Amino acid sequence: MAGVILEHVMKNYGSMYAVNDVSFTVNDGEFVALVGPSGCGKTTTLNLIAGLLPMSGGDISIGNRVVNDLDPKDRDIAMVFQNYALYPNKSVYKNLAFPLQMRKLPKAEIDRKVQDAAKLLDITHLLERKPRELSGGQQQRVALGRALVRDPAVFLMDEPLSNLDAKLRVQMRSEIKRFHQDLNATIVYVTHDQLEAVTMADKMAVMNGGFLQQYDTPANVFAHPVNTFVASFVGSPAMSLIPLEVSGNALRSPEGWELQLSPANVRKAAGSTTKDIVLGARHSTLKLHKSVVPGSVPGKVYTVEPTGDVTFAQVFINGAVVNISLDPSVIIAPDEMVWIEFDQDRMHLFDGATTMALQAA
Amino acid sequence: MTAVTESAVRRRSVDWWRWSGRLFLVLLLGFTVMPMIWMIITSLKTGFAAMQYPPQWWPAEPTLDNYTRLLDPSGRIGQDFLHYFWNSLWVSTITTILAVVVAVPAAYAFSRFRFPGRNFLFFAVLLRNMFPAVVFLVPLFILMKALGLVNTHGSLILTYLTFGLPLAIWLLKGFYDNIPIQLEQAARIDGATRFQAFIFVVMPLSTPGIIATSIYSFIGAWNEYIYAYTFLTKQSQMTLPVGIQRFFSENATDWPGLMAATFIMSVPVVVLFLVLQKYFVRALTEGAVKH
Repeated sequence: MAGVILEHVMKNYGSMYAVNDVSFTVNDGEFVALVGPSGCGKTTTLNLIAGLLPMSGGDISIGNRVVNDLDPKDRDIAMVFQNYALYPNKSVYKNLAFPLQMRKLPKAEIDRKVQDAAKLLDITHLLERKPRELSGGQQQRVALGRALVRDPAVFLMDEPLSNLDAKLRVQMRSEIKRFHQDLNATIVYVTHDQLEAVTMADKMAVMNGGFLQQYDTPANVFAHPVNTFVASFVGSPAMSLIPLEVSGNALRSPEGWELQLSPANVRKAAGSTTKDIVLGARHSTLKLHKSVVPGSVPGKVYTVEPTGDVTFAQVFINGAVVNISLDPSVIIAPDEMVWIEFDQDRMHLFDGATTMALQAA
Repeated sequence: MTAVTESAVRRRSVDWWRWSGRLFLVLLLGFTVMPMIWMIITSLKTGFAAMQYPPQWWPAEPTLDNYTRLLDPSGRIGQDFLHYFWNSLWVSTITTILAVVVAVPAAYAFSRFRFPGRNFLFFAVLLRNMFPAVVFLVPLFILMKALGLVNTHGSLILTYLTFGLPLAIWLLKGFYDNIPIQLEQAARIDGATRFQAFIFVVMPLSTPGIIATSIYSFIGAWNEYIYAYTFLTKQSQMTLPVGIQRFFSENATDWPGLMAATFIMSVPVVVLFLVLQKYFVRALTEGAVKH
């Protein structure tokens, strides 16, 4: 196993930058998720690490070795693809054996390693089948097996779960996590599903528009998003963002109401480049009242979605949709006027112009 | 009750369509098969019986004479015929091999690589097929003459390649387009070079396409008449479609002999088709459904 270091990695197609100055370090044995909306450059970044695409600039090293000009086969990596990319004309056994044959290992050793991998993934009974005779979950296991049979320095995974149905996806998610723990494997994992990233990864790299937005542990990304993009991308339901203006020690809405800020938040707001501030709050930090209480702002209920153990309500505040989680015993109706109380210690303030999170000076 | 009668009416109308369709297919089948049957029947007749009127629907004295005459290397006719046959086989086989050797990398490049002029080149390749073949007869003849290739098989092979290649490239490109690029990427990560990935992963998957392409170019070359007729005047160089003409003589055409020769000429094509048809169908329907 080994670590991966990206330094100022660039990839452009003409004037279009698919990956723009991305740097991060994956430590040995770490599980890192590259996450972002489609087209954000996460898969391109993975392909650059794999060597499937030539870089336009920067350096990539795998295990203290700069691999910029190495062929994929010489980078000591294995990859699991979204569509599994199993060789359709080869049996499962031959799929697993292929990476070993290409490395010219003796037959007996190939057989031993294939059998070991098959046992580990519980696919021994499938070895003689062709990929098309397998279910989606089984194909996924074979793809994993082909990756681990060679004992590579780094595993690269490109949305490996997105072709599975919802139930199987949850199951394979825990299996991959288990696989990571058992093998102490270094994994770089691409997904558009922030939930996969949050639940599986040691660290997540949130990307948007070719830029790396934030690289940190899921807990930190969740608690301290660096900008409004990360704030709205991570978490389900997403963090609610309300555009407001600073007015003295308060945030003022064009609707007429003001929200007094705590001294700490006043200092944060002072750091904004303009008067525009975006107020961010996660659903669980908000309280809903049916009448005015100090520190609350008025809103109108849009929808109510009971899920069983928690009810989600969407409330319009100052034209923005705000998600709130409620106890199922609370009864509210659409179009009802309500008052929302913010938690001053757990609210987020973002610069309205730069979208960056505001810190207390 | 109304529901029952309604469905009965509907079923009957469906049947009517189905039966008219079958009738049409039977007529079509008769239209295509009759000449072949007549060819075989005539080839089994004597020269006299072939010319009788009213015609003998079934040969009164079936004979294999015509075939033995054609296939007898000691006779003059047999010698010529076998020579033409060999010429045709040689020209068609070399054409096919060259077409595949050129079309495989060309189609792969068109499918996988982005290079300047790619779209223009691909259009240019297809453009060739938008003109009738005869248009190129005179220019190509002049070209072959300048190259000193008239009366050689090389002129035919080159010409057939200009017809066969565009189609072969187009057909194979469609085939490569359908092979997920991730398979090659996986192979390259698994330790293969780009070339090895092509040989070990892409080639086996494109075998049906290559076979279909081969059949196309082989048949195209095997059946071609006009160019062979124009480029070849030496009897020793002639291919079957031209050579068979020699059965038409000024005084009396040897119909049974001509039919026997035609039958033997169609055998390789039919055999090729029967043996390889499963690949052929797969190639033409590949990508029609997700699998």
